[in-house]
Amino acid sequence: MTDEVVVSVRGLFTRFGPQTVHDGLDLDVYRGEILGVIGPSGCGKSVLLREIVGLDRPEKGDIRVFGEPVLHEGLWADRIGVLFQDGALFSTLTVKENVEAPLREHTDLSSRLISEIADLKLTLSGLGPEAHHKRPSEISGGMRKRVALARALALDPALLFLDEPTAGLDPVTAGGFDRLVKNLSHDLGLTVFLVTHDLDTLMTVCDRVAVIYGGKVAALGPVEEVRAGATGWVKEYFAGPRGRAALAERDSEAKG
Amino acid sequence: MSLSSLNQTPNPTGASASFVVHLPTGGGSEVSVLAVAGDWTVATIDGVEEALAELGAAKGPGLAVDVSALGRIDLAGAFLIDRTVRGSTPSDNLNTPIHLIGAHPSASRLLQTARAATQPCPPAPEPGSGFLALVERIGRGVEGVHKESLATISFLGETLAVMGRLALHPQRMRWVSVVNVMETAGLNALPIIALLSFFVGLVVAYLGARILGDFGADVFTVELVAFSVMREFGVVITAVLLAGRTDSAFTAEIGAMKMRQEIDAMRVMGLSPMEALVAPRVIAMLVMTPILTFAAIIAGLFGGMLVCWAELGVSPTMFFFRIQEVVPTQHFWVGMAKAPAFALVLAIVGCRHGLGVGGDVASLGKRTTSSVVQAIFLVILLDALFALWFLEMNW
Repeated sequence: MTDEVVVSVRGLFTRFGPQTVHDGLDLDVYRGEILGVIGPSGCGKSVLLREIVGLDRPEKGDIRVFGEPVLHEGLWADRIGVLFQDGALFSTLTVKENVEAPLREHTDLSSRLISEIADLKLTLSGLGPEAHHKRPSEISGGMRKRVALARALALDPALLFLDEPTAGLDPVTAGGFDRLVKNLSHDLGLTVFLVTHDLDTLMTVCDRVAVIYGGKVAALGPVEEVRAGATGWVKEYFAGPRGRAALAERDSEAKG
Repeated sequence: MSLSSLNQTPNPTGASASFVVHLPTGGGSEVSVLAVAGDWTVATIDGVEEALAELGAAKGPGLAVDVSALGRIDLAGAFLIDRTVRGSTPSDNLNTPIHLIGAHPSASRLLQTARAATQPCPPAPEPGSGFLALVERIGRGVEGVHKESLATISFLGETLAVMGRLALHPQRMRWVSVVNVMETAGLNALPIIALLSFFVGLVVAYLGARILGDFGADVFTVELVAFSVMREFGVVITAVLLAGRTDSAFTAEIGAMKMRQEIDAMRVMGLSPMEALVAPRVIAMLVMTPILTFAAIIAGLFGGMLVCWAELGVSPTMFFFRIQEVVPTQHFWVGMAKAPAFALVLAIVGCRHGLGVGGDVASLGKRTTSSVVQAIFLVILLDALFALWFLEMNW
């Protein structure tokens, strides 16, 4: 992690009808860090992600990615990867073709190398070769998430957005996914913007946590600090049975 | 050359990838050295790919990699280097050691990651070609027709059984949804059906006026319009338009519900999709199609009347008087009698294909297409059978 800012959000206002989602939200994401974004359902985490990648426009506010304003979606198509909540794989393509799609669009590599890189990314994401030529509708939800991750990583992006990557996965698969993201971030120097509800993910993977509450970033910092200074919703979040279980597990892992 | 290791510097356009091969000097090293330089990322390696492939093709004792001049590297670049190293030995296997010369902050780790994630992957299965594949395709097509017919007939039976059950328990009928379908699928189609039928009546009358006029029989234009619009055009145009507009909507609606597991949710809640989705659509169509057919007949006659008035000087009063005089009412009823049959076909084909949609978007598109094609095909086929039967009966 360096002090170079990859994503900066300043004074963000978002409104849907009468409902204010973001009310002057400020947030910085530094290069090489894994930033976990948490908050109650409906607090605007996913909307924030969509606004940063340019899919939605905020009402007011300044969003910069790699130091430049986000004018429209696809501006940084070859430098960011996005994993959508339920994968958003192209259902008319096979698994492998899904991963090859961004490579074909943005590079001049030979078909053979593209195919080999797609194999590599799929294997890296933990998908066996038997699934490569299946359609997205023929594989399980966990496998779809892996394919979606492989597709998000296809171009070796500098900045990766993950929208609830472990939601709907069993704990073992989710744990594997967490390790995968952490290792990749370490090996490739990825900056990761991670929206999650999963406390285990938060504890094991994230360098910093941003809590979005009431339209603002209510707390920001390493998991420990945020937990120590927690009040209100954040306190409930960490003090609930799930939070305690995740903490206990991490502590026992640290001892072992 | 910056030695910043990762693909993360703010300016992505770095030096392009390049390499030099140092042949073994005989003294220090026994293997060739692949000295890589510049940035090796997915955006820059396209320039060296071909040359490296040639290098890899010449089998030798292996390669060592000199990374001291390497700039940024990502997994794609690491994979390409690793592939070249593997390919340079006769065995080309995943145990080929990687000898690195020089220091680089991340090359070694990335090369290992790339190696660890490389495994033999099967190529995509080739689609069959040639004569045999053609025969196979034809066979599948014929079998498909057989299966489709059976499925449609069994769905018809299932629907009739459900309708029968509902007739015994009318309180279970979802009348709100019936009226809703009647409005969206029936009433909203009225303007377009009336307009098209009006044009067809216009065209038939115009043809009659010209061609019958050649025989001096242009007064029979009125009969031509009345017979054709009442018996055939009114109901067939209604059915074909409903197939394109309403039947496809049934398939898409129910298919999207199927894809989003809404149908499954209904099933586990004890709601029968046949009762909740299919029956209201069938009833709404049975009610609306005759009404639309009637509107189409009136609009067609109106179009014919305008042409007769303008071209032949037959006044509207004369036009309708003549119809009353020479065209027996049974022709009107022959046309109207076909409407419920077509309605049943449209509703059943639309709903059946909707419920047959699989998990992906492609199957929704395929099902919607076959739904419309089958509906139109069945409407025309039924119409031909009806025509034969009615003519034989002298109706």
